[in-house]
Amino acid sequence: MRKDLLDQAARAHGGRVIAALAAKYRDLDLAEEAFAEACLNAAQSWPKDGDPRDPAAWLYSVAQRRALDMLRRRGVRTRLVPDPPAPPPSAEDLMVDDARLIPDERLRLIFVCCHPAVAPDARAALTLRLVCGLSTQEIARAFLVPEPTLAQRLVRAKRKIAQAGIAFEVPGPEAWPERIGAVLSTLEIAYAKAHEDAAGAGQHAGYAQEMLDLTAVLVELLPDEPECLAFAALVRYAEARRPARMDDGGAMTPLSEQDPALWRRPLIAQAEALLHAAARRRRPGPRQLQAAIHAAWCSRPSLDEPAPWPTVLALYDALLTWRDDAVVRLNRAVAVAEVSGPALALAEVDWLDGVAFRDFGPFHAVRADLLARLGRGGEALEAYDRALALDPAPAERLWLERRRGQAAG
Amino acid sequence: MQYALLIYEDEAPYAEENGQAWRDIIAQHEAFAAELVEKDLLRGGAGLKTGATATTVRRTAGQCGLHDGPFAESKEQLGGFYLIEAPDLDAALAWARKVPMLGDGAVEVRPIIEGTM
Repeated sequence: MRKDLLDQAARAHGGRVIAALAAKYRDLDLAEEAFAEACLNAAQSWPKDGDPRDPAAWLYSVAQRRALDMLRRRGVRTRLVPDPPAPPPSAEDLMVDDARLIPDERLRLIFVCCHPAVAPDARAALTLRLVCGLSTQEIARAFLVPEPTLAQRLVRAKRKIAQAGIAFEVPGPEAWPERIGAVLSTLEIAYAKAHEDAAGAGQHAGYAQEMLDLTAVLVELLPDEPECLAFAALVRYAEARRPARMDDGGAMTPLSEQDPALWRRPLIAQAEALLHAAARRRRPGPRQLQAAIHAAWCSRPSLDEPAPWPTVLALYDALLTWRDDAVVRLNRAVAVAEVSGPALALAEVDWLDGVAFRDFGPFHAVRADLLARLGRGGEALEAYDRALALDPAPAERLWLERRRGQAAG
Repeated sequence: MQYALLIYEDEAPYAEENGQAWRDIIAQHEAFAAELVEKDLLRGGAGLKTGATATTVRRTAGQCGLHDGPFAESKEQLGGFYLIEAPDLDAALAWARKVPMLGDGAVEVRPIIEGTM
């Protein structure tokens, strides 16, 4: 019960409180520690005294005092004459009513966590930890690394921020495009981890909620950035489809076979609104195109209606002019197969073959499907085997095994 | 805060010691340094002769050995450095982006331990 309370408090209020403390004291470590102590305090006093009217304000107030205590203690170690101890907070002091007293510095915090000078494998983890309040354990599970490894990454990242002098500031106009790009790339990685669990009813479902919340915050803080709006739309489209992503047997259901009746309409509506808002800014970008691809799928009325492959292919063609990378080309090839036939698609896919794809499961899965459709059964089975050997997630594995069985039969 | 900007470059373009390219890059560095001086941000720096002119004293288990050449035999060599003041990393990076270079290379931005310069 106590741990639950701590987790909930961290997730609900951590981002805002830590950001405000970090902005005030220019010390990320101090902010995190002070908030953690405030949460411990809450875990002890809230069950006894009842929840405060404004939990965020309560936590901020207590965390501030902890931070000052810590600073004084550090000061004491380096000076000969100690300061007199701080008076304990009065009941009035603790009854801070207005959450508006907590300045919203989350944007600065997000930019710091996603700074290009922070190790790439730490940025997403740091953002999830400090801005979303996820525990180290949860993040480690999602990223498939041992918890001590992830904890070390976070420690190193915070040390780098402090030692190298990464300022707790929103970047200036010259650096803005690059830094926004870094933030969105980081969040893409963070979301990809949440998305990978196709089942999603399990432990990662909560994490996906954090991504919905975080993208909502980003949109609130940066309402004029079309790529941010588009990214928020992307996450909503993807989450809308979660109920349809797995069949009763636990196997993955590909997008073109998902029953639109299972999709969550409210999330799709939110996504559409965001995408329209992005389009009105008249500053196109790759994420807007990605969101448009999702929109094309999510506007399919039912499985009886044809899949929007021609639209999807046209959008991938446009996306290629922004992001000519292997994943985009692979996804585009799937659309090519539907519009122009598997032979042409296979030619495209084979052209992609290279070192980067040796260990990329979806590459082999796509090849396998195309080969099977072209009647090259033996090669199709080999390709399915390669995809399976790369240790796919359980839902994907089941689906691949089924397709392999069909190809063999 | 104080930072060292360490300049790593392929030395090949500099081969012609008193050529025009060499004179141009010197002039660019003088202009760059002047900009830093004007803002009172320059604390030191130097251009280094080529890696081939280096001799390395290598210490192993208390014994010193000499070898001809730089610390690391790599395509890009340390060619010079600036020591600057900057309010934060982003400011230091902005200067690093402007460091003159003949071709491709890298500028490592390393914070300086307080009180040691």
